[in-house]
Amino acid sequence: MRDRPKTAGESACPTIAEAMLRWLVGGRDADAVSGDLREAFAARGGGRLWYWGQALSCIAVRLSPYRRMLPGLGKDFQYALRTLRRNPGYALTAMLCLALAMGVNTTLFSFLDSMYFRKLPVPDAGRMVLIHREGDDKFCAWRDFGSVRDSVRSLEPAAQTTFFDSLDIDQIGQYATVVMVSSNYAKVLRLGASLGRWFTPADALSGAAGPVVVIGDRLWKTRLHGDPAVLGKQIGTLHRTFTIIGVAPPGFRGTSPPLPVDAWVPANDIRSAASGFMVDLIGRLSAGSSIDTAMAEMRVLDARLRAANPGNPRMQEPIRIEPASGFRTDTRERLLSTLWLMSAVSGIVLLIACVNVANLLLSRAAVRRHEMAVRQSLGASRARLFRATLAEGLVLAAGGTALGIIAGYWTGRAIEWAIPFLPATYYRGIGLGVDWRVALFAGGVGFASAILFSLPPAFANSRNLHAGLRGGDGVRLSRQREFYSLAQVALSLTLLVSTGLMLRALQRVQNIDPKFATDHRLYVELFAAQKGGKPEAVTQLFTGLLDQARALPGVLEATLAWEVFPGTGSTCASPSPQEPPRQMRSNTVEPNYFETMRVPVVKGRGFGMKSAPGSPADVVVNETMARTWWPGEEAIGQRVWLGCEGEKREMAQVVGIARDSKYESLSEDAKPFFYLSRRQAAGNGYFSLIVRTAGDPYGWAKPLLSQVRGNPDFTVYEVKTLEDAVAASLWGIKWRAGLLASLGLLAIVLAAMGLYGVVAYAVSQRTREIGVRMALGAAPGDVQWMVLAHGLRITGLGILGGLPLSVAAVKLLRGFLYGLSPFDPVAFAAAGVAWLMVAMLASWYPARRATRVDPLTALKYE
Amino acid sequence: MPSAYIGEFEQIVLLAVLRLGDQAYGVPTRAEIEKRTGRRVTVGALYATLDRLESKGLVHSWFADPTPQRGGRSKRYFKLLPEGVEALSVSKTMLDRMWRGVRLKGASDA
Repeated sequence: MRDRPKTAGESACPTIAEAMLRWLVGGRDADAVSGDLREAFAARGGGRLWYWGQALSCIAVRLSPYRRMLPGLGKDFQYALRTLRRNPGYALTAMLCLALAMGVNTTLFSFLDSMYFRKLPVPDAGRMVLIHREGDDKFCAWRDFGSVRDSVRSLEPAAQTTFFDSLDIDQIGQYATVVMVSSNYAKVLRLGASLGRWFTPADALSGAAGPVVVIGDRLWKTRLHGDPAVLGKQIGTLHRTFTIIGVAPPGFRGTSPPLPVDAWVPANDIRSAASGFMVDLIGRLSAGSSIDTAMAEMRVLDARLRAANPGNPRMQEPIRIEPASGFRTDTRERLLSTLWLMSAVSGIVLLIACVNVANLLLSRAAVRRHEMAVRQSLGASRARLFRATLAEGLVLAAGGTALGIIAGYWTGRAIEWAIPFLPATYYRGIGLGVDWRVALFAGGVGFASAILFSLPPAFANSRNLHAGLRGGDGVRLSRQREFYSLAQVALSLTLLVSTGLMLRALQRVQNIDPKFATDHRLYVELFAAQKGGKPEAVTQLFTGLLDQARALPGVLEATLAWEVFPGTGSTCASPSPQEPPRQMRSNTVEPNYFETMRVPVVKGRGFGMKSAPGSPADVVVNETMARTWWPGEEAIGQRVWLGCEGEKREMAQVVGIARDSKYESLSEDAKPFFYLSRRQAAGNGYFSLIVRTAGDPYGWAKPLLSQVRGNPDFTVYEVKTLEDAVAASLWGIKWRAGLLASLGLLAIVLAAMGLYGVVAYAVSQRTREIGVRMALGAAPGDVQWMVLAHGLRITGLGILGGLPLSVAAVKLLRGFLYGLSPFDPVAFAAAGVAWLMVAMLASWYPARRATRVDPLTALKYE
Repeated sequence: MPSAYIGEFEQIVLLAVLRLGDQAYGVPTRAEIEKRTGRRVTVGALYATLDRLESKGLVHSWFADPTPQRGGRSKRYFKLLPEGVEALSVSKTMLDRMWRGVRLKGASDA
C-alpha cells in the first residue's frame, strides 16, 4: 500500500512531523529542510515512517547543542533507576497505581480516537469524504446518481445507502446491517477483497446472472466459520436470495463507523432504479481539490438537483461534506454525553492515582530527608535535587505508562466483550484498539502526571535542609500528606455517589411494571417468505403453526404478534383523511393476544376471528390514544386512516380500548399505540410465536423449535423468554452502571491505599509516643481507637469536602438517571457510610500494629 | 597552509556539491551521495555536515526564492568556496601520498 506510486498532488506528508520539524528547527532553514523532505517524499512515492525518521534526524541534530545545558541529566536518571531497583515494593506500588488509572484513560482515549480521528482502512484515506445532508438526510435520489457521477470533477463519488435487513443462513436468521452501493464502490475506496471480488458494473444490471453479495469479515468468520469455500453459497434476505461473490478485507467494516456492516449488495438488485430511494455519497477527492472546492461544486450541483426534484421534502436540508475520519457528526453528537461522563470519571481516577503516587513520594521524601540534607551539604544545588526527584517521577511514570497501555488494551477488550450484540447498536463497532495515537496520548498523560505528582515531593526534597538534618520537617510533611489523602477521599466520594445513583436508577427502572405478563412466556421470532406474492399463504402458514404449537404438551396458550417488547413497528395514521399522517407505534396481533399477554381490553371488544368482507379493518387503541386523539369523545366507533404520505391510505374503525402497557422501554412515558388484527392485515412475513408454558419455558423451547424447523418455510431469529427480553432492554443503563461501579471501585481502592499509607506512616512516626502512653497505662483499646480516629478524621473531613463536589458532579448524570433525582439522599448517604467503612478497614491494620508496640522497645529504640 | 582538516564524510559532501555545480541543494546532494557511495544518508546528517563546512568557510549557501512545486518552500543552495576546493585537493594529495606504494593483500593491481 505504501509502495503504490502516487502523483505528486496526491501524497501528503505527515503533518505532525512537518509541524514539529518547522517549529524545532525554525527560520529559513526549516523552510529549506521541510521543502527538501517534501520533494524527496513525493519522489519516492510516500512512506510516512521514512518521513518521520528523516524529520527526527534533523530535529536531533538541531537540538544536540542543548544537551550540554543539562549536565548530569543522564546521571539523574541512572540514580533514579538505581533507587527504584533498591526499593522494588515502592516502585511497583507506584507503577501499578499509575497503570490502573492510565489503563482507564487509554481506553477512553481510544474511544475518542475512533470517534474523531480514526481513518478508514483504505489507501490514502485522508482524501475520502462523506457527502450527505444536515439532520441525517441523504444526499440525492439513486436515479440522479449517474448524472452526479458523470458531472462532478472535484471528487470521484460512490453511492451508498444503509439499511437493516435480515440475513438467512441455513434457516437461522440474523439481523444485519446491509449497505447497498453503486458498482464503483470498491474502486473509489480502492478496496481489495480477502476472498473473491467486489462488484462490477455488470453485477448491477437487472439482467445479470443473479443477485450477488459481498459479506463482511466478521459475518464470514462467525456465521460461516471462515469457510474458504464460501464463494457461490447462497444467503437469503427479506426480499430475495443472494450469491456470495466476495469477502471484504478484515478491518473494513463499512464507511459509517461505528456501525459495523455485515454485507454489501449492488444497487438495483433490491429496488428498482426508478423508485427514487435516497443515497448518500462517499467520495475520493481528486488531485488538487479540497473539501472547499468540492463543496463549491456540490452546491451548484445540488441547486440543479433541487430544481429537477421540486418540493422533494428529503432534499431541503443543506448538504454537508466531511472527511471520512472518525464518526459522522450526527453520530458523534449522539455519543457526546457518554463521552463526557467517561472523561470526567477517568480524569478523577487519574487524579486520585497521581495524588497516591505523590503521597508515596512524599513519604519517601520524609525517609530521605537525611540523604537529601547530606547531598546538599556536599554541594548539590537545590535545582539539582529538584531535578533528581523529577527524574525519579518520570521513571515511575514511564513504567506506569507502559503497563497502562497494556492494561488499556485489555480494558478495551473487556468493554467490547461486555456490550451485547444488538443490531444497530452504535457502541458495538467502536474499535477500542491501541494505535500510535493512543500510545502517544498515554505517553503525554504519563508525562503530565509525572510532573503533577513529582512537584510536591521535589519541592520537599529541595527545601533548605538544615531543618532536615535536625529532623524537624516531619510534621509539615505529614500534614501535607493528610491533606492529599483527604482530597482523595473527596474525589472518590463523587464517583461513589455517582455509582450509587446509577444503581438506584437501575433498581428503579427494574421495578417498573411492564403491564403485560412476562412469566412462563417464551417467544420464537420467525420469518416466512412470501411465495408467489400471496400474503394469504403466509397468514395460513402461521395459523397452522399456531395450531401445532397449541397441540404441544406443556403449552397452555399460544398467540402471534408482529413485535415483541422492546421492539415496535412503526406506521402512520391520522384521525381524518385530510390531516397529515403521524408516525405511530403499533403491533399486529392474533385475536387472543390480549388474553395471553394479560393486556385487558377495558372497553369495547377485541378482534374477532373472522370479519365481514368489505367492512373496514378493526383497530384496538390503547387508553392514551383514546384519550389524546379524541379528547372528551367516545373513542369506540371513531375512524383512523392508516398509511404514510405517498402510500395508499386505508380507513379502519376503533372497536376496543386496551390498557396502556410498556412497548419500547420500561422507562418510557405512556404513549399512543394501536393494534391491528393479524387476520385482517397480513404483515411482511415476520411474526413472533408467543407461548405460555407450564414450568420452565426454556424446557419447552426444544420441541417447539423442532416443530418449526420441520417446516422449511420458516427462518428462526430468536428464542427468548419475555422476562429475558425485558431484562435485556436495560443493557444500556446496566452497562453504564457497571462501568461507573468498576471505576468507582478502582477509585476507592486507590484512595484507600493512600489512606492506609498515611495512617501507617503516622503510627510508625508515633511509636515512641504510643510506647509512652502504654507505659503510662493506656489500654490497647484506647491506642487502637487513637489510630482509628486518625483515619476516620481524615475520612470525615474528606466526606465533608466531597459532598459539595458530588452535588456539582452529579448534575452531569441527570440524563442517565431515568427520572431519579440526582440529589437522591439514599445514594449520598450510602456513599458516605461506605467510605467510613472503608476507612475503618484501611486503618484497622495500622491500629492493630500500634497495640503491639512494646513500651520498653519503643522507648529504648529512640 | 592546509588549515582545515576535513573528515571522510565531509569530503564526500564537498565532492557531491562540486559535482552538482549550480544544482546543489539538499535533495540532489543527498541523492548524489546515495547513488555514488551506496550509503544511506539522513537529511539531518547532511545538513549538519553542510552547516559545519559553512562555518569552516569551505562552502557558501544562499536561499533561492520559494517555488510552488515544494509547497512554497524555498531551496538552500550550496557552492564550494576556493578554500573548499583547496581543502579537497589537500586531502586528495595527502591520501595519494599515503597510498603510494601500498599494495593490499589479494587485491589486483589496477
